[in-house]
Amino acid sequence: MRLAVLGAGPGGYVAAIKAAQLGAEVIVIEGDEVGGTCLNWGCIPTKTLIASTEVFSKAKELDKFGIDLKGEIMPNLEKIIERKNKVVSTQVKGIRGLFKSWGVVLKEGRGVLTSAREISVTMKDGGREKVEADRIIIATGSRPASIPTFPFDGKKIISSNEAINLTDIPKSLLIIGAGVIGCEFACIYRELGSEVTMIEMLPRAVATEDYEISDLLEKELKKKKIKLYTDTRVNGVDVRDDGVHALLSDGKELTAEKVLVSIGRTFNSDKIGAEAIGINKGKGGEILVNDRMETSIPGVYAVGDVTGGLLLAHVASKEGLVAAENIMGGGDIIDYSVVPAAIFTSPEIASVGLREHQAAEKDIKVRIGHFEFRALGKAHAMGEIAGFIKIIAEASTDKIVGSHIIGPHASDLIHEYAIAMENGLTARDVADTIHAHPTLSEGLMEAAEDVHGEAIHVLKK
Amino acid sequence: MNPDDLKYHKEHTWVRISGKRGTIGITDYAQDALGDIVYIDLPEADASIEANSEISEIESTKATSSVISPVSGKITKVNEELSESPEIINEDPYGKGWVAVVELENPEEVDDLMDSSEYEKYVEEEAK
Repeated sequence: MRLAVLGAGPGGYVAAIKAAQLGAEVIVIEGDEVGGTCLNWGCIPTKTLIASTEVFSKAKELDKFGIDLKGEIMPNLEKIIERKNKVVSTQVKGIRGLFKSWGVVLKEGRGVLTSAREISVTMKDGGREKVEADRIIIATGSRPASIPTFPFDGKKIISSNEAINLTDIPKSLLIIGAGVIGCEFACIYRELGSEVTMIEMLPRAVATEDYEISDLLEKELKKKKIKLYTDTRVNGVDVRDDGVHALLSDGKELTAEKVLVSIGRTFNSDKIGAEAIGINKGKGGEILVNDRMETSIPGVYAVGDVTGGLLLAHVASKEGLVAAENIMGGGDIIDYSVVPAAIFTSPEIASVGLREHQAAEKDIKVRIGHFEFRALGKAHAMGEIAGFIKIIAEASTDKIVGSHIIGPHASDLIHEYAIAMENGLTARDVADTIHAHPTLSEGLMEAAEDVHGEAIHVLKK
Repeated sequence: MNPDDLKYHKEHTWVRISGKRGTIGITDYAQDALGDIVYIDLPEADASIEANSEISEIESTKATSSVISPVSGKITKVNEELSESPEIINEDPYGKGWVAVVELENPEEVDDLMDSSEYEKYVEEEAK
């Protein structure tokens, strides 16, 4: 089996290694850098920046922790970016090393499908190569969506791609779109000292989350003095000498040094030859696939962002595994019922399964358990008491059907509930499991107890 | 002790009337029950508020709790100092820890509120 994978992001590189493990001869074609958006432009760079802003934030509170500091502390964005680049390049080397170890061949260039069995590659060094394969996986990902009336100029009107590489902290930053990416950058640049304003056309920030989560995040943003305008559109943006002027749908005009547009992502399904060979696409340009990750053209698979759905690195990786298994003769089917996801705002957010309003829409009767981090000794010791754990259990069976966490280490904590859901466990099962003290995980147990009104560290209702 | 010149609401807020204006805050009992206050979500100046409804949220190391207005009207001033130093409420709930000043819409509402001795009895009952 000879497999060509177009794109080396978390969908493509995982598929490539898996297929190689199963015995395929694998060629990966990547025009940018291995690791894709996730490693080079998204997840990892932003988390590295956040690690720096968290240190800075803690440093500003040293006094509270009983540490005296003589002198001033200042963020140095140039050094922060340098550290980010180092972290990214270490990870890039890691993937390249994995390819080498599994015998995956990397062709560095832009690939275009010329048939269902052939990709033409314009190599980075200018040469051209043809790659023939028995099977192809398209894993070309997505890119920041732009607003046609005020496209990115990379300087004043920027996307997340530039926001991870600024070397000067902008005095003021206007963020269009208060989704995951917008809110993460709002927290990063606010912490560094920028005046941050966010404009969101929907009624709430992180609108796809459980409403209680977005309510609390909005309050936490307000605490940080990040201004948020919801139900508001940006009608026009004008780059002038004194800054970028944005005209809002309510008539207000705002001025900022830079505008970050984070309104969503566009699928990289154009310019890859998909039309030429007749691959079916959806309304948004996403490549349509079946639950085996195969496109409308037999033998051509697609995984990750380019297929639409949940634009998450770990979903792409799972889809890559499914595609690789199926290409190698397996019968794997993708299952999206338990997909944990995290947002690295401050405080962090994590979710899995149904939101409370979704349960209501589906007419599922549920019981909710709640637990506040401020009721945990560990949270007080850490000095991070904001936030809560919410767990949603089906009333008739007590099975956990969703959980939403905002607070310290939410992104790590969520997985206990994810495993519980994957295995059909009940809130009672989690409540009955001894959780170590003193940990944040105790909150998961207490929230599960609260589903039955039995949490110990909650006042009588 | 709870000052005699104030009127008290059963949700543990107070109002000090001066002409057509009322200054609102939370009671000593409330600040004590909350413990160390770490944040107050201040109302907006110019906002119209109604008696018995939430005008602000207070967060302490123990709990998050609503501030219920004892009167209706329009907010003319908020205590901005609290946004940087919410602990002032713990230190001086009836003085520097005031939350907002309201232009009263229905001054007669004040008649429904408790005086200091009634409030003290009420708190004793609640504590039982």
